[in-house]
Order: sequence, then C-alpha cells, then structure tokens
Amino acid sequence: MSRTGRIRAEATAAARSFLRRRTAVFFTFFFPVLLVLIFGVVVQSGGTGGGLFALPPAYYVPGYLAVVVLFTPLSRVGSEVARHREGARFEKLATTPLSRAEWLLAQTLVNAGVIGLAALLIFVLVVVATGARVVLGAGTLLVVPYVLLGVVLFCGLGAVLGRVADSQDGVIAASNGVALPLLFLSETFVQPDLLPGWLPVWASPLTYFSRGVRAATYGPADGSPGLNLAVLAALAVGFFLAGALAVPRTD
Amino acid sequence: MQHAVVAEDVRRTYGDTVALGGVDLTVETGEVFGLIGPNGAGKTTLIRALTGTTDADGRVEVLGASPRSVDRERIGLLPQEFSPPERLTARELLAYYGGLYEEARPVGAVLADVGLGDDADVWYENLSGGQKRRACVATALVNDPDLLVLDEPTTGIDPAGRRALWSLVERLADGGTTVLLTTHYMEEAEALADRVGLLAGGELVATGTPAELVAGYGGEPRLEVAVEGDADSATAALESAGYRAVETRGGLAVEGIAAREVGDVAAALDDAGVGYGALAWTQPDLEDVYLELTGTGVGSGGEPVDREDGPGDGRAEPRVPTGGERR
Repeated sequence: MSRTGRIRAEATAAARSFLRRRTAVFFTFFFPVLLVLIFGVVVQSGGTGGGLFALPPAYYVPGYLAVVVLFTPLSRVGSEVARHREGARFEKLATTPLSRAEWLLAQTLVNAGVIGLAALLIFVLVVVATGARVVLGAGTLLVVPYVLLGVVLFCGLGAVLGRVADSQDGVIAASNGVALPLLFLSETFVQPDLLPGWLPVWASPLTYFSRGVRAATYGPADGSPGLNLAVLAALAVGFFLAGALAVPRTD
Repeated sequence: MQHAVVAEDVRRTYGDTVALGGVDLTVETGEVFGLIGPNGAGKTTLIRALTGTTDADGRVEVLGASPRSVDRERIGLLPQEFSPPERLTARELLAYYGGLYEEARPVGAVLADVGLGDDADVWYENLSGGQKRRACVATALVNDPDLLVLDEPTTGIDPAGRRALWSLVERLADGGTTVLLTTHYMEEAEALADRVGLLAGGELVATGTPAELVAGYGGEPRLEVAVEGDADSATAALESAGYRAVETRGGLAVEGIAAREVGDVAAALDDAGVGYGALAWTQPDLEDVYLELTGTGVGSGGEPVDREDGPGDGRAEPRVPTGGERR
C-alpha cells in the first residue's frame, strides 16, 4: 500500500472511531455553539461602554473560531495519543509501515474535516445570531487556510501534550491548561489595548490566527492576512514536526 | 539455515529493576519458538526488544536487519495488552490494519482463519473476550508475515478457541512462517513449539525442544497413590518392596517408576493390607520443567506459582525473585 493508502486507512479508522463516539461528536459542536450563544447573544457585544465585548460582533469571529481550532485538536489528538499508548496501539503500529508523521497526518486530516465543519457552523451562527457584519469578498476565503493551518499546528501540539501527559485525564487537564490562556491572551476575545504591554502576545501562535482571520473578516488589523498566514504556516510546520517526533514509538 | 531472530546479550533495565539481564536467543527460520516463564520474567520486554519497541542494549537482528530497519511488511506483531479501536467492526479493524501494508490478505479469509466469519460486522467492543483476542490475533496475520510474534495470543480464549488457534499456528508454521510466541500455558508451548525458552528473572535459563527440556529437567515418572488409611504404613510397605515413596497431600507418590511396574506396586500394597482409592501414573511434562527451573515447584524452596491465575497480568517488566537454581 502506498503512503496515500496508509494515511487513508488510518484516517478512515480514526474518523469512524470518532464519529461513533456520539458524546464526543456532540460536544465538539455544542461547546463552541454554547460560547457563541453566551457571549454573542446573552452577554452581547457592541455595547458603547468599555471592557470586554465592547466592539462590534464581527471583531470576535476569530475568537469563536479559535475555540474549535484550538481546543478540539489539542484534546482530540492528545487523548488519541494517550488512548493509543494505553492500548499498546503504538507498539503495534511501530511494526507496520505506517510512520509517525503519517499517523499524525491522518489524525490531522480527520480533525480538519471535523473542525472545518464546526467552523463553518460557528461562522454562520455568529452572523445569524449576533448580527455580525463580516466583510465578504475573495479575501474572506483566507479563513479556510487559516483554519486548516491552525488545525495542523494544534494537532502537533496535541501530540506533544499526549506524549507528556501520562493518561487521558492528564491530557484533558493539560490541554485545558494550555488552551485557556492561549484563547484569552491571543487577541481573540480581548483586544490588545486591554492587555498589559509587557505581555508577549506575539509568542502565542494563536495570535497570528486571530490577526489573520480578523484581517480577512473584519477589516485591516495588525499585519496583513498574507503575512500572518506565512507566520502561521511556518509555525504549523514546526509544531507538526515536533508532534510527529513526539508520537511514541517505544514503551 | 538462516536465523530469523538473533539476540545477543540483550539487556534492559527500568530504574534499578533488571528486566533483561543479558539474553542470548536464536530463532531459526520456519521454527515455532515458545517463550515461557513466570509473570515478570521479562518475556514481554524481550518481545519488545526484538521488535524494536523498547530501547535495549545488546545486539538484535530480525530477518537479517535491526528491528527498526527491518522490512515491516514481513513482521506481524500481537502485543500482550493490545486493545485496538473499539468502535470498529472486526471487518473494519482488519481492513484498517491491512491497509497499512503493500499487500494484505483478503479480510474475509483472515476472519475465517480466526473463527470470526460470523461476527465480522460486530463492533470490537461488543465481541466476547475470546473473540476480541482472536480479532487481535487476526491483525497480526493480515499481512501474511514471514515472522509472526505473538505475546500471549490465547489469553482469555476458551479451550475450543485456543485449540483452533493452535491449528492456525501449526498451519502457518507448515507454510514456512516463523513464529515466536509467549505463553503461560505449558500445554500450548508443548503442543506448538519446536523449541522452548524458559525465561526467569530476566535470564533465559533453559532452551531446547520440549522433549529435551523434560528429559533434562522434568524429573522422573511417578505414580500417585490415593491411600485409604495410614500413609506411613503404605510408605513403609512400598519402601520395603524397593520403591521410593514420598508423602503428598493426596496420599503418596512413588517416584522413578515405569508404567509396567504399576501392577507390582499395587500388589505390594495389597500384600501389606494397605487400601487405596486410585492409582495415577504420570510422566513429567513441561510444567514440571517450569516449576523446577523457576524455583516454584514443590520442595524447591521458591514461592509457589498460583496455578489458577493463568496467563499474564500485563505487568511484564519488573523482575521477580525466583528461588530456584538451574541444575
């Protein structure tokens, strides 16, 4: 079987396994929808005062998308690594032609499909439920590569967390511990002027996702969509390679 | 004959615990080699060292290459604690693992080989324990490997299923597949293996054909006598007739006795007026070898093995102390 065939086999098995865990599927979609409803509809944005959610709803589109782009790959790939390790599946796979990079790529493809669908749902929901005025045009399509690169990046990071954590519980705790600060300190929901100047938001890969998606959907922000895309792509490659190396091969 | 597996001075430690203390092993091409030994003897660690899934010191060569550079199309592995994706059917599971190889056997044929043809479309998590293990075995067969490595393949499988798997292994061996398996079932090793290696305390303490091991370490044939009445009188009567008798929990045992002498023993007991309920003559087998060499046999000074606990508890790495010495 060719490399493509191996990746297809792994991705098919991973997709079936995921889609048959109904609770996991439900909450993958429900969690971001819940956030949109809470922050976009209940709390509401676009008020005249200061503080959080003071800007027009479209400003927060990157934040809502970041929820799935960040949380889902971290927890899914991390848990999958832990699950594979506990079931001696890596021990088995290490004696097959499937490489660690191919395994991670297959997991990433499944995540890309799931998260792409969830991102589309959220995008539509934000527009419909919050009345966000999203800039529509050819540049808006840049959201697609941003989401895909974000998925690749955080799948790599998820594999690293899965390697470091010693159990599925540990992976969930670790991924929450990493994702929550990133989510709120990466120019997603909290605009830069509300963050302390010393905070190195540039160090968060999610910042480039936020800036790029915002530039594509809200209007010119910090940096061009192309520049942020290039940075995100470079980071995605780096994190993917780190993740592939982190996938366990031995006991 | 080309060696399928060569291991020289293979060592592996976990902290202060020695899991493998310098194992030398050779498995010939086309051979069925059985590894036996107590829990924690190092069987699984050795399997991992041979398949490159643990970092061990020493030299290992598998099918003429190092474990991590060997052509993986030619290897089939069943890890001891293997638990595949649970919400795939048996058919999907084999299609998945088959899809990882250049050439895989037809899924239906592999399912039939392990007796899962009728349950091919049942999710793995809904299969019985024995069926699950058979599905796991099938994943190691799907690429028609030259070297099949099975770590406790029949754990949890009922006797009929176990014997069906034995037949399958025999067929594969007849077809030229080299098989390396670990087991806690002595009759399994005796039935399947051309040669057996006994691992204890991280060291290979004996290697040979089952017959060689039994002849070398199994002891003598014995006649178990279920004495009705005074065992001391029975012992005295037999010793006066020239037999070596020792007391056991069920009565006494006459050691070093040929089958043709059973009638003579019975006559000696009758002459002495000693009643007995049953006579059972047994030849030594691999279990006696195991008990002798692992120091877990009666009177060996070692800790007794729980003969009811069956196969592995999944904790194969820690070295366990054994009281016996190789004689």
